Amino acid sequence: MTEMREYAFFLGCIAPNRYPGAESASIITSRRLGIELLPLNGASCCPAPGAFGSIDLNIWYAMAARNLVLAEQMERDIALICNGCYKSIYEVNHKLKHNDELRDGVNEVLKEIDMEFKGSIDVWHLAELLYDENIVGVEKIRESVKVPLTGTKIAVHYGCHLMKPKKERHMGSTEAPRWIEELVEALGAEAVEYRNKMQCCGAGGGVRGYDLPHSLDITNEKLQNMIEVGADAVTEVCPFCQLQFDRGQIEIEEKFGIKYDMPVFHYNELLGLAQGMSPSELGLDLHAISTEPFLKKVL
Amino acid sequence: MAEAVSPTTSKKPETPRIGVFICHCGTNIAGSIDIDAVKEYAKTLPNVAYVDDYKYQCSMPGQVNIREQIDANKLTGVVVAACTPRLHEPTFRAASKDGGLNPFRFEMANIREQNSWVHMHDREGATEKAKDAVRIAVAKAALLEDLYPKSVPVERAAMVVGAGVAGMQAALDLANAGIKTYLIEKEPSIGGRMSQLDKTFPTLDCSQCILTPKMVDVGRAENIVLMVNSEVEDVEGYIGNFDVTIRRKATGVLSPEEAEAKGIVGGGCTGCGDCGPVCPVTKPNEFEMNMAPRKAIYIYHPQVVPLLYTIDWDSCVKCGLCVEACGEKKAIDLEMQDELVQVKVGTVILATGYEVFPIENKEEWGYKRYDNVITSLEFERLICASGPTGGHLVRPSDGETPMRIGFVLCAGSRDNTGIGKPYCSRFCCMYSLKHAHQIIEKIPGAVPYIFYMDIRSFGKMYEEFYYRIQDEGAKFIRGRVSNIQEDPVTKNVTVYVEDTLLGRPMEIELDMVVLAAAVQPTELTNKTRKLFGVSCSQDGWLLEAHPKLNPCGTTTAGVFLAGACQGPKDIPDSVAQAEGAASAASIPIHKGEVELEPYYAMCIEEKCAGCGMCVNLCPYQALSLVEKDGRTVMQVTEAKCKGCGTCGGFCPGGAIWMNHFATPQIVAQIDAFLLGGEQ
Amino acid sequence: MATKNYPDPILNEKLRDRYYHRDQSNPEFTKEIEKIAGTMAHMCFQCGTCTAGCPSAPRSSYRIREFMRRAVLGLEDEALTDPDLWFCTTCYSCTDRCPRDLAPTDVIMAMRNLAARRDIVPVNFLKTVQAIYSSGHGVPNNDVNRAAREKLGMTRDPPTTSMYPEYIKGIQKILDHYGLKERADRIIKEREG
Repeated sequence: MTEMREYAFFLGCIAPNRYPGAESASIITSRRLGIELLPLNGASCCPAPGAFGSIDLNIWYAMAARNLVLAEQMERDIALICNGCYKSIYEVNHKLKHNDELRDGVNEVLKEIDMEFKGSIDVWHLAELLYDENIVGVEKIRESVKVPLTGTKIAVHYGCHLMKPKKERHMGSTEAPRWIEELVEALGAEAVEYRNKMQCCGAGGGVRGYDLPHSLDITNEKLQNMIEVGADAVTEVCPFCQLQFDRGQIEIEEKFGIKYDMPVFHYNELLGLAQGMSPSELGLDLHAISTEPFLKKVL
Repeated sequence: MAEAVSPTTSKKPETPRIGVFICHCGTNIAGSIDIDAVKEYAKTLPNVAYVDDYKYQCSMPGQVNIREQIDANKLTGVVVAACTPRLHEPTFRAASKDGGLNPFRFEMANIREQNSWVHMHDREGATEKAKDAVRIAVAKAALLEDLYPKSVPVERAAMVVGAGVAGMQAALDLANAGIKTYLIEKEPSIGGRMSQLDKTFPTLDCSQCILTPKMVDVGRAENIVLMVNSEVEDVEGYIGNFDVTIRRKATGVLSPEEAEAKGIVGGGCTGCGDCGPVCPVTKPNEFEMNMAPRKAIYIYHPQVVPLLYTIDWDSCVKCGLCVEACGEKKAIDLEMQDELVQVKVGTVILATGYEVFPIENKEEWGYKRYDNVITSLEFERLICASGPTGGHLVRPSDGETPMRIGFVLCAGSRDNTGIGKPYCSRFCCMYSLKHAHQIIEKIPGAVPYIFYMDIRSFGKMYEEFYYRIQDEGAKFIRGRVSNIQEDPVTKNVTVYVEDTLLGRPMEIELDMVVLAAAVQPTELTNKTRKLFGVSCSQDGWLLEAHPKLNPCGTTTAGVFLAGACQGPKDIPDSVAQAEGAASAASIPIHKGEVELEPYYAMCIEEKCAGCGMCVNLCPYQALSLVEKDGRTVMQVTEAKCKGCGTCGGFCPGGAIWMNHFATPQIVAQIDAFLLGGEQ
Repeated sequence: MATKNYPDPILNEKLRDRYYHRDQSNPEFTKEIEKIAGTMAHMCFQCGTCTAGCPSAPRSSYRIREFMRRAVLGLEDEALTDPDLWFCTTCYSCTDRCPRDLAPTDVIMAMRNLAARRDIVPVNFLKTVQAIYSSGHGVPNNDVNRAAREKLGMTRDPPTTSMYPEYIKGIQKILDHYGLKERADRIIKEREG
C-alpha cells in the first residue's frame, strides 16, 4: 500500500445528517485508494452559500473562515464531498488568501473567538482528488473495483458550485465536461450523455426553501432528460443535489403527480458498491427512492 | 557633463539665440494653461532671444511670424510649444527653413496632448508643466545642429504578400502603373477567402464570377511575378531597398516554364488532371472546409491560378503512380526541394488576410460536438453550386435538407471573456443576412432565424439589404444565444436565447445552426509582420500608421497594409484599401528616391576602441568594423540605421554620436528638467 | 409626473405614471452593487445570454437581464422589492457565458444583500440562520438519522458541532457580532407572528 494522504474531512450538513452512507462510503472507499479522511472536530455548516451569502456575504466569509481555521489548526488540507460546501469553503479560502482587506475584516471578527485565518491550507473536493492521477486517478479506481457496474447506464449530474464560475475554479470545461463520466466508467458502468447535462438541480440559492414547486420543476426537467436517454440511475457529488433528486422525486410525485423511481447515488456510494460494499453498509435503504432496481442489475 | 563634440561640425560654437512661440490652439491649450505666465517665464530662460504667442501657430500668419522673427532676431533655433510633433513638426520645420534656418534647428514642446488635454481640471499644474516643457525644449534647441537628409534611390519594384482579393487588387494596380510586382501567396492558388464564398452582399453577385476575371488578370499580367506556395523567409534593408528572401515550397510539380528551363521540351503541368485519379491517397480538401476529398496530388478547385497541381508531402506515399500518369510531360518531380529566392523591392504591401477563430473554443454552442452546428464558411461551401454538395444545403448528420436554420451572430466576436474576440468582426451581420436570403431562395418553405444583438448594416446599400431580407421572411430575434443542445436521437439542435425585446426566454428547435464565427489574423501574419518590423494592435491585427489619416501606411517606411490583415473588412473595404495601399506604395517608386531622416548614428573615430560590441547589438545590421589608419573602428551604414540609439546608449567609450539625439542634447534636457533652469 | 392623487384609488393605480424619471435612478446603488459583487455591472449590454440559459427564467417571471438593467440604471427600489430576486439558484451559468465577462449571479447576490439591509429576506433564509445558531448546522441531525448512523457503525453524531456542542458558542459569537440572530428572530416574528 502506498503512503496515505491525510485530509481534514469537512462533512457539511446533509451528508452526515441525511445520507450518512455517503459519509461512511467516502471514508472507507478513500482509505482503499490511499486517502485518509480525518475528522474535523467542531466543524459546522459551511455555511449554506445561498442562505448566508444572500443575507450578508461578510457573515458568510466569517463563518466559513471559522471552519477553515479548524483545519489550519490540524495542519491538513480540507477534503469535502458537497458542492455547496465547496463553494463556501474553497471560495472563501481563496478570497481571504488573495484579498488583504477582506482577510483583515474577517480576522477582526475571528479575534472575538480567539481564532485567526492564516491561509495555510488548500481545499479540495474529494471527486477532484479521486480524478487527479497524482493522487488517485482513474486507473487506480478501476483497479479497486471488485463488483463492476457493467450493463448500467448512469447519468452524471455535475452540479453547479464545483466547477462554476469557471474563472474562479480550475476544472476546465463547464459546458461539456467528461471527467466525472470517466470516474463512473472506471466502475464499469456506461455514463450516458443527456440533454442540458450541466443544468442546475434546482435546489440552490435558497430556491428550494423559497419556492419548492419552482425548484422541483427544474429537477423534473433534468429527470426527464435523463430518462430520455435510458439512464438507470443518477450520480452526483453533492448531497444537496442528492437530496433534491432523491427526496425531490417524492415531492414531485406529491405536487405534480409524476412518479419516476430513478435511483440517486452520491459518487462515493457507487464507488463503494463497485468496491464490494454491501447496500446496507452504504445505507442505501435510507434513500427516499429505492435503489433496488439498480442493485438487481449489478449484484 | 559630456563634452563630446559632434563629428559633423567643426566650426566654433555660436551663441544660441532661441525664439519661443507658444500656441493657444484656440482654447485647446489656452483653456487649461495660462499662456501669459508661460510666456513671461520663457523670457527668463537662458539663450532665449524672443518670445511670442499666437492663437493658431500653425496657421499661415503664425508660420509667417516664425519666419520673420528668425530674421529679425537672428535666431539660431526655434521652439514651438503646441501640439504633438506627429502633427505639426513638418509644418514648423518648413517655417523655420523659410526663415533661413536649417529645419533641424526646430524643437517642439508638446503642451497639448501631453498636458492641456490631460490636465484640464488643473490649470495651475498644467501651467507649471508647460513651463517645464518649454525650458526643456529650449535647452535642447540651444544645442541643435544643422542636419541634412540623405536621398537614396528606390528599387523600381514592389512586393505584395498575400493574394486574396486585397493583395490581387494591389498587385494589379501596381502592375498597371508600370511597376514590377512580386505577388507572394502561401497557398497553391491565388484568390484567398473570397474564392471560397458563394455570393456577395448586398448585390448577390457570384463571388467566383467576379473574382476569377481578376485572378486571370493576375495570372496574365506581365508586370506581376506570381509566387504561390511561397512564404517570406527573411527581410533586410529599408524603404527603397528591401532585400526579401522568399521560400518557394517544393510543390513536386513543374510549370511549363520550369520544365522548359530544365530542357523538357513541351513538358510541365498543364492542369490536365491525369495524375489525381491514380493517386491512392485521399485527404480532406481544405478549400472545401474539409467537407470534400482531394488526393495527395491536387488542385483546390478547377479555377485555380496558376493551374498547376501540388503535392501534399505530408500525405504523399511517393508511389510514383502520378509520375507514370503524367507521362511525357514529365511535370512531376517527387524529389523536388524548397527553393530560396532573393528579390529586391522598393516598397511592400502586406495583405495577409484573416482566418476563422476556432469557434469550438466557445463550447456553449457545441461546434465540433454537434453535427448540425457549422460555421459560416462551411455554409458558404455547402450553398455554393461548385461546392461539395453542388449547392444543395444539407445537414451534416443525415444529408437531409434543413428547413429551419438558425444563424448565431457575434459568435466569438464582441466577447470580453478572454476566449473570444473583443472586437466586432464587421462583416458577419451582412453575410448572415445574405445566407438567410439564400436559403429562402433555394429551399422553398425554409425559415431562417437570425439571432443578433445589433444588426450592423453600415455600408452602401446595406441597410436596404437588411430591409429586403426582413421582407423576405427571415425571423430576427434580438438576443444572444446562451447555449445549444443537441437532440440525442434526431440530432436536431435546440437554441436557447432570450427575445430581449419581449423579455421572454426561447427554446427553438432547429435543423441546423450556422455560427457567424469571429475572424482573427492568420497564423502566418504575426511571423510576417515581425520580418517587416510592422507592429500589431493588442487584438493582433496589423497596426496602421494613423487610424484616420494614414490607414494604409505602417510605422515602417515603405511597408503598407491592405485588406483584412489590418482589421476585419468586407470585400469593398478590402479592395478600397488595396487601391489606397497600391497608390501609397507606388509614390516612392515613381519619385525614384526617398529622403531618409538624418537621425543616424555616427562614430567618433578617435574615441572608438573597435570593440565591436555595438555591431552585434544593432537590430538593423547597420554597423560594421573597418580598418582605418591602421586601427579598427566602427562604421555606420547610414541608410540602414534607424537612429534607435541602442548602440549609442551602450558604447562604453561614448564614441557613438546619435544625430539629433546626441548625448549633450539629451543631458541638457535632463539638466533643464531637474535643475529647473538653474544649470 | 409624480403621483396623480385622483380620488378614486382604482383609477389612480390604473393610470399610474409609467414614465421613467431620472430621479428613480440612484447611481450609488450601481456603485454599491459593484463593490459587493466585484463585477462591472454597468457594462451590461443587454444581450440576454444570462436569461437564455437561466434555469429559473422559463418557469417564472424572473429575468436576470432585467435585474442587470436595473443595476445599470440604478433602479434600486424596483430591484430590491421584486420577489423574483429570490429565484436565482446561483448556478452561475450566466456568469460563465456572459460575453462582457460580468458576473450576473454575483449582482443578484449583492442585490439580495442590499435587500436584506431593508429586512427584505424570505423567511426560509432566516430559518437557516436560526438552525445554525442553535446547532451549528443548517440541516441538523435527528433521532432517525442517529439510529441510521449507529446501524452503519458510525457515531450517533458526526464529529461536528453535533458531537462537540462546545464549538457552538463561537458560532453564536460570530453571528451576534453582526446581530444576525436577533434580526432573524425579529423579522420572522413580524412575518409569522
